[in-house]
Amino acid sequence: MFQSLKKSILAAGIATVAVLSVQAQDTVKVGILHSLSGTMAISETSLRDVLLFTFDEINAKGGVAGKKIEPVVVDGASNWPLFAEKAKQLLEQDKCAVVFGCWTSVSRKSVLPVFEKNNGLLFYPVQYEGEEESKNVFYTAEAVNQQATPSIDYLLAQGKKKFYLLGSDYVYPQTTNLVLLEYLLSKGVPIENIGGGFKKDESGKVISAGKYTPFGHTDYQQIIAEIKQFSAGGKACVVSTLNGDTNVPFFKEYAAAGLTAEKCPVVSFSISEDEFRALPAKQLVGQLGCWTYFQSIKSPANKAFVDNFQGWLKQTTVDGVKKEGRVTCSPMVLSYDGVYLWKAAVEKAGSFEVDKVREALQSGLSFNGPGGKVTSQKNMHLTKNVFIGETKADGQFKILKQYDGVFGEPWLKGTFKPKVATK
Amino acid sequence: MIKLIFAVLLSWLLGASIYAATPREIIAKALLIEDSEEQAKLVTSLGDSDPQEVIALLTLWKEGGIFLNVDAAGAKVPVTLDEEKDGEGKQLAHRFDTGAAVGKLLASDLNAAETDSALRLAMKSVLDMAQLSSPDAKKRQEAVETMGSEQDPERLPALLARQTRETDSRVKRAIREAIALIQLKDENDAVKIAACNELGAIRSIPSQDALKAIVAEATAESKTNLANAAQLALNEIAKHVTFVNTAGTAFRGLSLGSILLVVAIGLAITFGLMGVINMAHGEMIAIGAYTTYVVQCVFGPGLELSPFGIHIALPGMNATGTLYNCYFVLALPLSFLTAALAGIALERGIIRFLYRRPLESLLATWGVSLVLQQLFRLTFGANNVQVSSPSWLSGNWTVNDVLFGWNRVFVIVFAVAIVFGVTMLLKKTPLGLLIRAVMQNRQMAACMGVRTERVNMLTFALGSGLAGLAGAFISQIGNVGPSLGQLYIVDCFMTVVVGGVGNLIGTVISALGIGMLDQSLQQILGNPVLGKILVLLGIILFLQWKPAGLFVTKSRSLEN
Repeated sequence: MFQSLKKSILAAGIATVAVLSVQAQDTVKVGILHSLSGTMAISETSLRDVLLFTFDEINAKGGVAGKKIEPVVVDGASNWPLFAEKAKQLLEQDKCAVVFGCWTSVSRKSVLPVFEKNNGLLFYPVQYEGEEESKNVFYTAEAVNQQATPSIDYLLAQGKKKFYLLGSDYVYPQTTNLVLLEYLLSKGVPIENIGGGFKKDESGKVISAGKYTPFGHTDYQQIIAEIKQFSAGGKACVVSTLNGDTNVPFFKEYAAAGLTAEKCPVVSFSISEDEFRALPAKQLVGQLGCWTYFQSIKSPANKAFVDNFQGWLKQTTVDGVKKEGRVTCSPMVLSYDGVYLWKAAVEKAGSFEVDKVREALQSGLSFNGPGGKVTSQKNMHLTKNVFIGETKADGQFKILKQYDGVFGEPWLKGTFKPKVATK
Repeated sequence: MIKLIFAVLLSWLLGASIYAATPREIIAKALLIEDSEEQAKLVTSLGDSDPQEVIALLTLWKEGGIFLNVDAAGAKVPVTLDEEKDGEGKQLAHRFDTGAAVGKLLASDLNAAETDSALRLAMKSVLDMAQLSSPDAKKRQEAVETMGSEQDPERLPALLARQTRETDSRVKRAIREAIALIQLKDENDAVKIAACNELGAIRSIPSQDALKAIVAEATAESKTNLANAAQLALNEIAKHVTFVNTAGTAFRGLSLGSILLVVAIGLAITFGLMGVINMAHGEMIAIGAYTTYVVQCVFGPGLELSPFGIHIALPGMNATGTLYNCYFVLALPLSFLTAALAGIALERGIIRFLYRRPLESLLATWGVSLVLQQLFRLTFGANNVQVSSPSWLSGNWTVNDVLFGWNRVFVIVFAVAIVFGVTMLLKKTPLGLLIRAVMQNRQMAACMGVRTERVNMLTFALGSGLAGLAGAFISQIGNVGPSLGQLYIVDCFMTVVVGGVGNLIGTVISALGIGMLDQSLQQILGNPVLGKILVLLGIILFLQWKPAGLFVTKSRSLEN
C-alpha cells in the first residue's frame, strides 16, 4: 500500500519535473514592467496591452528562435522604488531574457542600476531627454533630435520667429528645453525672441529655460496673458512639454483668451493619440504634434498592425484590458518595434544571452514597422522616421511633414553652437 | 478681318471662362485636389470674388461642413448635408458644386474635407480681405490686426480705403495701428518717424517687436531721429504694458480668489459653522462636476455607463446651437441638488453619529472620500472626462488691452451671487434663524423646541450643495476626473482656516487675499511654483501669528 503510494507520488513528481523541463525548453521568459495602477496607469496600461498582443502574434508564428514567449507581467504601480524591486525580481528570480518597460524617466533611472548589476536588457519605448547611454538599455524611444528639433525645423520653415517654451516641472521638459535653447540660438533666433524666462547661475550660464508648472496645475491665466503679449506681434508659437491633464486647463484658457492655432500654434511633445482621448478635441484642432508614428499613417504595415491589434483586443481574455475606443500611438508602436528587433537580434546571435543579443543589436538590424523602417544603432538607439502632424477634431493627426531615417542621438547638450549674427 | 473676329472671339471665350469660375466652382475644384499647395493657390485666386459668398463657403469648409462622398463609380464628390436628420440619423446630402440631391447619408460614414495649416493660412488671407467689408465689427478688427502683423505694403490701399468709411471706434484704432505698422516698412524715413509717433500715441503692444527692430536698424545706420522716435514710442508702450499687467493681475487675482471662495464656501458652512471636519468635501465638488458632465452628454450624444456590470444607457437629445449652449444653465441647479442629496445621505449615514467626536469624523469622511473616488472610477472610468464649455463662456472681452475672459467674469459674478444668497439665507429666512440658533448653542435650541437633527441635516445639505455648484463651475476651467476633489480639498481648508473658522466674511476676505497674493507673486517672480510656495509659507507664518484666523468668532458657549 505505502509502496504503491510512494511509487505513484514519485511517478507524479517525475512527470511534473518532465513537464516543467519540457516547458522550460520550449519557452523563454520575457518581462513586462509597467505601471498598471497609480497615476501613470492610464498611459502605461496601453503598452502592456500592445506587448501582450505582440507576444501572441510572434508565438502564433512559431515564437523566437523556436521558443514561445512566456510573459511575466509585474506592476510598477507608479512607484519608482517599487520599479527597482520589480526589476530585481524579473532579473534575479524569474531570470527573464529581456524586459520591456518603464515610461517616466525617473522610473528608468531607478531601474538602471539593477539592470547594470545583473547585466539585464531593458527596452525603453517613450520619448526622453537623452544624456544617457547604458549598455543594458536599448532606447527605442524618441531622442530629443527625433522629436523636439525636427518640430523646430518645421516651425522655422513655416516662418515662425518667436518661440515660447512651456513645460511641466521635471527632468524631461527641463533638459529638452535647454537643448532647444541651444538649437534655436544655433539657428539664428535671437535670445529675446525665446519666451518663458531664463534662470542663470552665478557665472551667467543658463541653467533653466522656459516656464514650468507643477503637475496638477490648474491656473494658467497669468501664463496665457504672457503668451498673448508675446505673440501680439505675430509669427510666434508655443513649444509645450506640458504633461498629462494640465493640458486641459491650459488649452481651455488659451482658447478663452482668443488665441488660435493660426495666430500662435502650440506644438506639444506629450500629446499622442492615447492622451488625446481625455482632452477637449475641439479646442485642440490645428495644434501640432511630433512623433515617430501616427495612427493615420497610410501604409500596408500600419493598416495590418492597427487591424490586428483591434482584432486581438476583441478576443483577448487578459484581465483589465479596455476594449472600446482604443487607438494606437507612438510609444505603443515603439514597444512593438522593440519586440521584433529583439527577436531579430536573438535569431541573429543564435542565443538569448544578453551580451550576444546586444552585439547583434549594435550591428544594425532593421525592421519594417507600422511607422516605417527602423534600424538599431551602435549607441543602442534607433534610426527612424519622424512625422509632424496636426490634430483633428476626431482625435487623430493629419500628417504635414515627414523626415526619413533620423539618427537617434542622445548626447545633444553643447553640440549646437550659437550662430553669430551676420550684419 | 478674320484675325480680328478671331481675337474678339478668343477674348470673349477667355472672358467667359473667367466669368464661369464662380467661388463655388473654384472651391469645388480645390476640394478634389490632394496637394495642399495647389489647393492654396486656387483658394488665393478667390480674392476678387464676392466677399460674402467667399466667406460663407470657406468658413463651411474650414469648420468641416463639407464632406467627400465616394459615389458608385468610385469618384470623390464634395457634398454638404442638410440640418434635418431622419430616424436613422441620416441627413440629405447635396452636391457641393451643383446643389443636386444625392440621397441620404450618415455623417459618421463620411470624411470631412480636410484643411491643413498651409491651406488655412491661404484661406485666412483671402478671408481677411473679404472680412474687411464684413458687417461684423469684430471680424473686421481681426482681419485688420492680421494685416498689420504681416506688414505687407500691398494691403495698404485697401486699409486706407476702409479707414475713410469705418465707423466703429475699435476697428478705427486697429486700422490706424495696421497702417502705421505697414508704414514702418516704408522707404522714406519721415514716414517711418510719423508711423513711430502714431504707434506710440495709440500705445500699440503688437508693434513692440517691429519698433525694436527699427531701433536696432536705425542705430546701426546712425539715424538718430528715427531711433529716438522709435525709442520714445517703445517707452510709451512699456508704460502701457505695465498698466495692462497691473490691471490684469488684479483681475486674475480676483478671479482666482472667486474660485477659491466658490469651492470653500460650502466647507465654511459644514466645517466653519457645524464643526464637522469633512474630508469628503472635495468629492462633493466632484459630484457636481460629474453631474455637469452627465447633463452635457444628455444634451449631446447621450451616455452609456456600466458601473458594477449594470448597463445604463442615457439617450441623448443631440441638441446643437443655442439649446446645447443652455445645458450649463440646467447643470447648475442639478449639480446643487445631486451634491445636496449626497450630503444628506452622508450626514444621515455617518456624520450624525460623530458630532461629538471630530477626530473620528475626520477619519470616517476620509474613508468616504476614498470610496467615492473609487465609485467615480468604476462608473466613469479612470480617465478624465471631457466637458466642453458653452460658447458664451469661452470668449473674452478686451478693454484697453486688458483681457477679461467670460468664464472668469462669470465666476466672479457667480461668487458674488452665492455669497449674497447664503448671507440672505442665514440672516433673513426662518431656516437661517434656526441654523444660526443650532450652531450657537445646540442644547439651548433643542430646549426651545428646534428639531436640531433636521437642522443639522439641512445645513450639511446646503454646504454640500454649494460644493456641487463649485464643481459645475470647475468643470468649465479644468479637468473632471476621479481625483478632482483631492486637488481642491487643501485649498478649501486653507481658505476657511485663514479666514477664521465659523465666519463667512472671513472666508470671503481670505479667499480674495490668497488669490490676489498668488497672482501678484506669479506676476512679479514670473514663476508659478515659487509663487505658490511663498503663499503657503506666508499662510503658515500667518497662522503662527493668528492661530484662529482673520476673524475670531467670540462665543460664550462652554463647549469651546
